[in-house]
Amino acid sequence: MPAAELSTVRKSILPQRGDTWATIAARSLPGTPEAEAVSQLQSWNLHVFMRAAGVAGGVRGTNPILPSDVIFIEAPRA
Amino acid sequence: MYDLVIRNGRVVDGSGMPAYNADIALSGNRIAKIGRVSEKGRKEIDAEGKVVSPGFIDPHTHFDAQLLWDGYAKPALSHGVTTIVPGNCSLSLAPLKTEHRMKLVGMFNQIEEMPYKAFKEGVVWDWETFSEYITRIRKGLAINVAPLVGHSVIRLWVMGDAAMERTATPEEIAAMQGVLRECLDAGAIGLSTSYVDMDERLQPVPSRYADADEVEAFASVLGEYGRILQIVPEFYDADLTIARLDQLAELSLKYAIPTTFSPLFVNADNVDAVDRVMRRVDEQFARGARVWPQVQTRPIDISFCFAVPSLLFIRLPSWYRIIRFGTPEQIVAAFKDAATREKLVAESAVYAALWPNLRLRLVQTEANKKYVGMTVGEIAAARATTPIDVMIDLSIEENLDAHFLAADMGHNSDERVGALLKHPRVHIGASDGGAHILSFSTYGDTGFLFAHYVRELNSMSIESAVKKITSETAAIWGIPDRGLLQQGYIADIVIFDPKTINRGEEKYVQDVPGDGSRYIRDAMGVDTVIVGGGVAWTAVGGYNAETRGAILPGETQSTRPLVAA
Repeated sequence: MPAAELSTVRKSILPQRGDTWATIAARSLPGTPEAEAVSQLQSWNLHVFMRAAGVAGGVRGTNPILPSDVIFIEAPRA
Repeated sequence: MYDLVIRNGRVVDGSGMPAYNADIALSGNRIAKIGRVSEKGRKEIDAEGKVVSPGFIDPHTHFDAQLLWDGYAKPALSHGVTTIVPGNCSLSLAPLKTEHRMKLVGMFNQIEEMPYKAFKEGVVWDWETFSEYITRIRKGLAINVAPLVGHSVIRLWVMGDAAMERTATPEEIAAMQGVLRECLDAGAIGLSTSYVDMDERLQPVPSRYADADEVEAFASVLGEYGRILQIVPEFYDADLTIARLDQLAELSLKYAIPTTFSPLFVNADNVDAVDRVMRRVDEQFARGARVWPQVQTRPIDISFCFAVPSLLFIRLPSWYRIIRFGTPEQIVAAFKDAATREKLVAESAVYAALWPNLRLRLVQTEANKKYVGMTVGEIAAARATTPIDVMIDLSIEENLDAHFLAADMGHNSDERVGALLKHPRVHIGASDGGAHILSFSTYGDTGFLFAHYVRELNSMSIESAVKKITSETAAIWGIPDRGLLQQGYIADIVIFDPKTINRGEEKYVQDVPGDGSRYIRDAMGVDTVIVGGGVAWTAVGGYNAETRGAILPGETQSTRPLVAA
């Protein structure tokens, strides 16, 4: 079965180096105002958004996104 | 003359084919003949009325530490398990530099609920490399060990503390690939990683700071060796699990490697989710990918006392902060403090249905022994108070040594779990042997499979059940020459009574270094366990001093095609 014939599942991406909500929003939701796009991403990715911030003084700072995270770029399917 | 002859048994050979009556003769560590054996053996076993099958393979364990003081992995061996896979979930005990020992102990304590004291008093830290660790556990090894190397420890080895902060540079990724090759050359069966686990500071484990390029770099090395990748996905969410298994599928296809993810539970509130995950598994297998979900046989039971942190409370942050970071004195003080107690009681309301059904299983004081065996709801009625107050009060009165059981919490639908267990693309595993030692007994899952799903429910044939935990497991993991009873195969064999094999009652024993305790289950109905042609355990004589455990798959000199899965 070719990949193109797989059934449709909720769209997601894996972060690129240095990604933040804003960079993912710009790449994945072009045409949507940044604040709105970031808000949408956060609401679709509560597993990341609700995570505690990194260790004080750490490289990650207040960015909760881990390099290994799955980030959904659309709402859950009905 | 043969070294050992097993006579008159019902051979369930691991292939899934119908059982048949035959004798089995062993020479050295291999099966020399199956059929009617007229020659004598130096030792003979009468298996009349018993099943003779390949030894069981447990693919998801955390025996990494226990193997340092117990080469039998007790009591797993006595249940018929002849091969274990430690090093799951991104955690292995090697390679490990001296300065990271306590870091790793902290992770084992947090994630696998292994006591600090057991490491302190049971472990002589005399290795750093994977090869040195293998040399260390090989002494007195009675059970076969197919060890995974953990992604988190490879990161620590190469990146130091930066492993817990950032992505790796291309140079660091290349260095980690080199370390993985060294580990595979030294005997590792594959690599494990985790997308969910947290360390002792409740921060993500090092593997979670790896980007997709790093994981792919590891997969390319696994492809050079044809070895397996094990992951812990975000199993609490079907969309996330599906995204992960899609990621695994791409790696499996690109590098021609087997992959497996664990756990996959089916609970009353996620039936549709599990169905969706399995449909995706089927689609990816249809593409030629290998993405094996691991499903455990036993229902979820969790025991706890507040003397050690329990993952049962991880979604109750006020509770967990106190029991995770507090000393026993601080925990008791917190329980006695009116304001703190009020906050804890309020937070516990989300699990209001759970507390009355907890059962008190162990106390220390004479005054409270009359309550043992009762539910917390029953004790609350007797004391004219609330269940949550009973739990707190008993814990104070017992100086935190009051033990409670949350029984049958999930994965307990015979119909749903039974259907999963016999699904052709489900891998039976996820026992967690050697871990969570004060939360539940991880031993006896195989006995439960035969007792419940084969004998009581008749939802699987005994041939299918044996195949699932022997030749299929060997094939999935690339373990040659084991998992089948065939001439020329290594003689890892279990003799058991199909009418009585089961897991015993869960019991509390004190046999962990540092005066530690754990829950275990004794084997029932298992007669004899043979590892590498030698009798390793018998119901009558117990564990044998002669040990023949091997490191797999590296020590096998000759291989033959795998027939299953």
